[in-house]
Amino acid sequence: MAVVSAFLVPGSPLPYVKRDNPPWGKIATGLERAGAALVQSKPDVILLYSTQWIAVLDQLWQTRPRVSGLHVDENWHEYGELPYKLKIDTRLARACVAATGTIGVKSKAVNYDGFPIDTGTIVAANFLNPGGKIPLVLASNNLYHDFALTEKLGRLAARLAGKQKKRAAVVGVGNFSGAFFRHEIDIAKDKIVAPKYDRWNKKILALLQAGDGKGLSAALPEFAAKGQADMGFKHGAWVLGALGRKFTGAQVHAYGPLYGSGGAVVEFILK
Amino acid sequence: MPRTQKKGAIVAGFLAPHPPHLVYGENPPQNEPKSQCGWEQLRWAYERARKSLDALKPDVLLVHSPHWITQQGHHFLGVPKLSGKSVDPIFPNIFRYTFELNVDVALAEACCAEGARQGLYTKMMRNPNFRVDYGTITALHMIRPQWDIPVVGLSANNSPYYLSTEEGLEEMDRLGRATRTAIEKLGRRAVLLASNTLCHWHFHEEPALPEDMSQEHPQSLSGYQWDMRMIDLLRQGHTKEVFRLLPQFIDEAFAEVKSGAFTWMFAAMGYPEIPAELHGYGTVIGTGNAVMEWNLERAGLSKPASKTRASRRAIRQAA
Ligand SMILES: [Fe+2]
Repeated sequence: MAVVSAFLVPGSPLPYVKRDNPPWGKIATGLERAGAALVQSKPDVILLYSTQWIAVLDQLWQTRPRVSGLHVDENWHEYGELPYKLKIDTRLARACVAATGTIGVKSKAVNYDGFPIDTGTIVAANFLNPGGKIPLVLASNNLYHDFALTEKLGRLAARLAGKQKKRAAVVGVGNFSGAFFRHEIDIAKDKIVAPKYDRWNKKILALLQAGDGKGLSAALPEFAAKGQADMGFKHGAWVLGALGRKFTGAQVHAYGPLYGSGGAVVEFILK
Repeated sequence: MPRTQKKGAIVAGFLAPHPPHLVYGENPPQNEPKSQCGWEQLRWAYERARKSLDALKPDVLLVHSPHWITQQGHHFLGVPKLSGKSVDPIFPNIFRYTFELNVDVALAEACCAEGARQGLYTKMMRNPNFRVDYGTITALHMIRPQWDIPVVGLSANNSPYYLSTEEGLEEMDRLGRATRTAIEKLGRRAVLLASNTLCHWHFHEEPALPEDMSQEHPQSLSGYQWDMRMIDLLRQGHTKEVFRLLPQFIDEAFAEVKSGAFTWMFAAMGYPEIPAELHGYGTVIGTGNAVMEWNLERAGLSKPASKTRASRRAIRQAA
């Protein structure tokens, strides 16, 4: 199998820009552990899908060879900037653009100076791929794609990586429960918005840890609806698709609140 | 610095939609991609609106954009000068625009403070590296390409998406009233820009040539009919009826006014029952867009007195 490691990570900027706040610092530490595991798996490419890269027309793929800049999150601007310097695996990205027609998806290559890279992609890349050494394939979240179609996209990207004889790390960027606080809180006492979301997050994490694919399949639709999973948990679909749903368990490097939403750093165990 | 008068007033409000296609069709030097033509009816509508705005000689333009999304609070641009290159994330092929704008920070701060006084969570955006969203930039370019009038930029808290439409729009009503109070206190002659598309049903594929106007038409007949019904009511000055229908319009036409700019503007203007001037209507990738004007000065409604409180109450009762 082309996939040598797989991760789910939150896309909030808070662990990156404000890690001195203990609840968010815990997630930052978890992200660093996941980053170490990713590097250890010696991938040639990282296949990254962020729920925050929103598309509405086609499925977009980044194809600019080098992407760098300074991003300010539109909501958390008071905590400073997110610098980024990314190297793109353009050959694999172009192969993805060319191949999605086979699953009924029209794709478009994105190669523009100044194209806005989303916060989730930057945070994940900075923690998991410090220095931007490993090339990336970046895929957008088309709002009109559902879980099943996103799973197909993940599978396709992994298959094409295999075809190019590349070892791939797969990363899905998004939250578990997506409900958040809308007003000012004491950030040191951040917590999941409501106990029901906390229970849902923990249930999904336990199924992942147990490697219970069947249980997970059964629980995910309800998680999306009742647990207010971020974007229907499509970042999970991307990773599960790339893995062909084959994993034996998972290690949870961190779990906690990100201004009320559920942030979890999960590494899949593949053997 | 903006000219000030004894007591400020809102002299006009515009419905100022922001499809980047309009900038692309116009080919200003700031935009990298070049077109052959396109969306003339809407661009010419904006030409008429530009003339009106020019005659009004405002101190400041306030713009509420659905594409600066802030989940925690209503935010206000709070850096005196912002510049950069704005690339539309959905249409990067047609919109890559180099901008530079001046912010009326004092008025932004006053709006922020008045909003908080109305019980809203409000915040100033003070980061000089912040990239202004493409909705704000498109609306501002289309209404005033000279970029010589200071700006107050407001974010979309998207409360109508997170709460119910009605609850969310009630927040926007408060934001509008807060905006009006701030304008009056600071003595500005202000023009409001509600940057919203009407019916938002759109095609899912772009033509190979984006400006191929043979492909441009309303995506949905019912959406078009909704747009015409709302525009006609607005042209007749039936504001109360428009706000009674607004939640249904939002649901059935997937209208972008859900993001709150339209309600914010009307609340700030005191929901005037005056006929709107329709400068023009057109579709962009199937969505319905109208450029409209409510000239309060011409209607004798731009005095800062609270005469309009009664009509506002009537609107809320109707809703
Ligand atoms: Fe829009």
